[in-house]
Amino acid sequence: MIPLQQTPTLAPDWLALTPALLLGVFALLLFVFDSIDPDESNDGLLAGLATVGSVSAAVVAGVFLLLGIGAGDGVSLYGGQLVVDGMALFFMLIFTSVASLVCLGSIDYLEGHDDIAGYYSLVLLATTGMAMMAASNSLATIFVSLELLSLPSYGLVAYLKNNKGSVEAGMKYFLVGALSSAVFAYGISLIYGVTGSLLLSEVAGALQGGEVLTDLGGIFGVGVLMVAGGFAFKTASVPFHFWAPEAYEGAPAPVSAFLSSASKAAGFVVAFRVFIVAFPIESVAGTIDWVLLFQVLAVVTMTLGNFAAATQENVKRMLAYSSVGHAGYVLIGLAALTGQGNGEIVLGAGMIHLLVYGFMNTGAFLFVALVEYWGVGRTFEDYNGLATKAPIACVAMTVFMFSLAGLPIGGGFLSKYYLLAGAVGAGVWWLALVAAVNSALSLFYYSRVVKAMWIEEPNGNLDRIDVRGYPTGLYAAVVIAAIATVVLLPAIGIFSGVAFEAASAVLQIAP
Amino acid sequence: MAAESGVFTFAPAIAVLPFVSFLVALFAGKYMPKKGAVAGIAATAGSLLLSLVMLAQVASGHAHHMELYTWVGGEGVPFELTFGILLDQLSTLMLVIVSTIAFLVHVFSLGYMNDEGETGLPRYYAELGLFSASMLAFVFSDNVLMAFMFFELVGLCSYLLIGFWFRRPGPASAAKKAFLVTRFGDYFFLIGVVGIFATFGTGTFGGPGVEESFPELAEAAIAGGASVNTFFGLSPRAWFGVLGLLVLGGVMGKSAQFPFHTWLPDAMEGPTPVSALIHAATMVAAGVYLVARMYGFYALLPTVLAVIAFVGGFTALFAATMGVVKDEIKQVLAYSTISQYGYIMLALGGGGYVAGVFHLTTHAVFKALLFLGAGSVIIAMHHNENMWDMGGLKDRMPVTYYAFLSGSLALAGIVPFSGFWSKDEVLYETLVHGLGGSPLLLAAYAMGLLAVFFTGFYTFRMVLLTFHGEPRTDLAEDPEPVRWNVKIPLAILGVLAAVIGVINLVPVHALESSVPEFLHDWLYHGPEGLNGEHYHELITSPEFAGYSAGAIPGLGELGTLFASAGLSLAVALAGSAVALALYRAPAPEEHTAKLGSLKTLLYENYYQDEYQVWLAQDLTEETVAKNAKRFDDGVVDGFVDRVSDVSLVSGHFLRRVQTGIVSNYAALITLGLVVLLVAFGIVGGWFGGVFA
Repeated sequence: MIPLQQTPTLAPDWLALTPALLLGVFALLLFVFDSIDPDESNDGLLAGLATVGSVSAAVVAGVFLLLGIGAGDGVSLYGGQLVVDGMALFFMLIFTSVASLVCLGSIDYLEGHDDIAGYYSLVLLATTGMAMMAASNSLATIFVSLELLSLPSYGLVAYLKNNKGSVEAGMKYFLVGALSSAVFAYGISLIYGVTGSLLLSEVAGALQGGEVLTDLGGIFGVGVLMVAGGFAFKTASVPFHFWAPEAYEGAPAPVSAFLSSASKAAGFVVAFRVFIVAFPIESVAGTIDWVLLFQVLAVVTMTLGNFAAATQENVKRMLAYSSVGHAGYVLIGLAALTGQGNGEIVLGAGMIHLLVYGFMNTGAFLFVALVEYWGVGRTFEDYNGLATKAPIACVAMTVFMFSLAGLPIGGGFLSKYYLLAGAVGAGVWWLALVAAVNSALSLFYYSRVVKAMWIEEPNGNLDRIDVRGYPTGLYAAVVIAAIATVVLLPAIGIFSGVAFEAASAVLQIAP
Repeated sequence: MAAESGVFTFAPAIAVLPFVSFLVALFAGKYMPKKGAVAGIAATAGSLLLSLVMLAQVASGHAHHMELYTWVGGEGVPFELTFGILLDQLSTLMLVIVSTIAFLVHVFSLGYMNDEGETGLPRYYAELGLFSASMLAFVFSDNVLMAFMFFELVGLCSYLLIGFWFRRPGPASAAKKAFLVTRFGDYFFLIGVVGIFATFGTGTFGGPGVEESFPELAEAAIAGGASVNTFFGLSPRAWFGVLGLLVLGGVMGKSAQFPFHTWLPDAMEGPTPVSALIHAATMVAAGVYLVARMYGFYALLPTVLAVIAFVGGFTALFAATMGVVKDEIKQVLAYSTISQYGYIMLALGGGGYVAGVFHLTTHAVFKALLFLGAGSVIIAMHHNENMWDMGGLKDRMPVTYYAFLSGSLALAGIVPFSGFWSKDEVLYETLVHGLGGSPLLLAAYAMGLLAVFFTGFYTFRMVLLTFHGEPRTDLAEDPEPVRWNVKIPLAILGVLAAVIGVINLVPVHALESSVPEFLHDWLYHGPEGLNGEHYHELITSPEFAGYSAGAIPGLGELGTLFASAGLSLAVALAGSAVALALYRAPAPEEHTAKLGSLKTLLYENYYQDEYQVWLAQDLTEETVAKNAKRFDDGVVDGFVDRVSDVSLVSGHFLRRVQTGIVSNYAALITLGLVVLLVAFGIVGGWFGGVFA
């Protein structure tokens, strides 16, 4: 139930989109800056501008969330094409926090590269796309904002133009992405054909009663599956995950952090909204039981991600697969909406896990960025004895690893706990069991990193650290992410309340 | 209520102050003058001051209880877990003792550690601060779980401090031993804590404003007025006995009672001021304090009381005999500590609550004094602790000598020094309750009395060998002088050790009733359910412990009192006299050889260490642990290995699927989508009648 309270309103309405607008404006500002003075190297200024842009968007989103703007049904804009509600703001907060960390960390990583402005404006544009995705309430706006996210992402992955790996990864990402977009667009067209509308609530309205589905059930089912495929691509879920290990490994590490944390969350927010609002399970269960679909996808995704991660020799690639595994955990947020138990806990748990993941995973990739900056190497063995040279960063990395594994050192423990509790409450205890077994397996490969850093003896490759020194921006980003991860353990209560409320609001919309 | 709690709001600061000094010394000790000592001294002085304020408050009739923090609780939770503070007569008295000793030990450390140029001082003072903080918090705990947590912290800190010189093999191994042996006892304590919560639903000790405390519930349950959960089909009384014994496991470990005493002599490897703190006021005292704290529970259980008394009496005698042959000054003191805590246990088990607390108080003073005195001697002797290398230090370090002598007289129990009054009361209480119809207590009393003889002997043997006669080495000829920071604590404690007995002059009170028994009155006026009077009722009630006071036939109560006092004094004097006769020569000889094979037995501490090593190594490590390892390797690991083999193999398979060729990916994605489409199509009936 939503408590009856005075929700503050904004006049005019479109101000509710301020976080997205801020991101867009700052992206354009970067363009302007760069076109006025393209040759001057003022990296610090550009990075600062991008960081300020994303931080201010994060602050606005956080303030809106706390003020309760969009509580309940949310602020509906442009004839319902966009809606800014609790879930939208919650996810905007995730995206902008990740973007802030990434911008901060990129300052040092991109030292000596040309055309920095392009990089930062692509990051901000992609974040704008994510923010719009969070607020999209129609299949059309979803597709457009998804592309607004995707196109800059391809560019970002291939950003290191002279690095073969980076270019190749960008190319692969683009090709798989194009295929997925095509599948997604085709799915949308089928759904439009069946229901006659692109607006999520109208799609749901058309499905009510069931006449449409008796005639055109097959077409609709194919459409839903294809739309699900589009989301599976963005969230790096099986079987659309193939791009992820390659893209994350080849991309500049801050971009990997950005894609694996924020872009994944963006995929989830639209999946949550579309499936819950447009395809209410009560109406469509007879035609396409998408809860079952997501149960299958969740099990396969988490198992495959974790098993593959266990055999990697390269830390970044291990993180990439672990990111696939985490997508599997979050899929529980949809897979456990069985109608039994408490739906808002299940969905809210998925949201909270993405929030915590936004910090711990971004932090882990930024640590990899730090190691790449030093040029120490990429395998577990290259990490041997890092703690002797960089104890603070290694403490932070230890926090990330253990929190990712779900040990009670960071917020990852509680968010995973909520997911498991939600799954058990919804009567799909076997899903919780699979997730728990996978978590246990993940501890194995996460602790390999910790072991290498703290216990193994350095093997002589750490001298380069002295050559390159300790980069302030990257260090700050890693430490901030670690602090946020730890603080989210005791402070999860603040966000879990908001998340459960937002989840319950979205679940209420479904007729 | 509000006015009353005014001063008490500062109570948490008693433990917080030393904790802050721990943080300060840990993080900023390097940069501070005296490496963090100043912070520790200031903090413990503050704690002492606050403890005195609390003592005054309680004296004006305001015992206090407050809850600070509920960390588990709320609707639907069977019990609350809280942190709270209980300030009553017992806890404030103990707070004053602990903070006094902690303060003096900090000051003394300036002389023992700083002036001797030790390294790692910030660590030392940090650990000392944490040690004091945990003990103070343990003392004012209002429930058994909080007590347990700080009990463990005390154990951890003593591990750290005993192993302060961890680069040497001796201290490192001693620290490990102390940790493991006390941990063994604490297992039982932990189970006992869980049992108490499961049985009563609460772990609070009681106090003003507390609705339910477990001693009260237990009392009501035995009297038939309340029902509690008991386990294994035991009656409430029997089950409470089990709980009492479980908690007693922790007590015996910490208070170094037989057979858990073996860690304590080894703990001498730590710096001497730490030994003083461990022995007088913190680690070892924690055990017996816990018994006193939950005395309302133990007083219900005659069997457990008898066990406590018997273990106490036996330990007192057993440890005293081992102290007789030791050559190192701190070793003698270590065994005397074990022995003296045996007396306290004897008193508590024998129904002498006041006597137990009294001896705890006086012992804290004179044992701290003796250790600091020994520390002073050790400084003078350049860290040579062998008494046979000393001699004649009397004239060269008079302050130390007279202070040490005062402590020794108290330890030996010579009138009018403090130890006499308290030890006498311990023995008297046990005697009268034994005469009242408990042969077991009489046996315990007999052992306690016999131990008095050995105490007198080893005490004066130590004094004579150290301070009297001719110097036996060049070092003893010309010892290093000690400074004010050593002498002042010694002087304070020396005076206290002589006069502190005045707080409870039982025999004098019996003759001239205008002489008050301060401690007796003090403890009898505690809050409801937590005072000596209530305990006395429980002890004497036939429904509970059922002790009754007897008297030596033909002497009456008063006669028994004086007969007991005279007897213990005579035995103490006899022991001292034998020591004087044997060792009061310019160049005393070693007489231990005359003991023959007994000497070896005593030197080897009755082979206690050996059998425990056998238990730990041959039995546990070789047999149990090896079998467990075999099971673990073969069955558990075997299974896990299979699982991870499977996951690694399938992981390698997945790696092969990830070919790196993008057209393969496109094909796989399409294939996956088609599989899903077909599967869900069949389930959803999209294909009409074809598959239906």
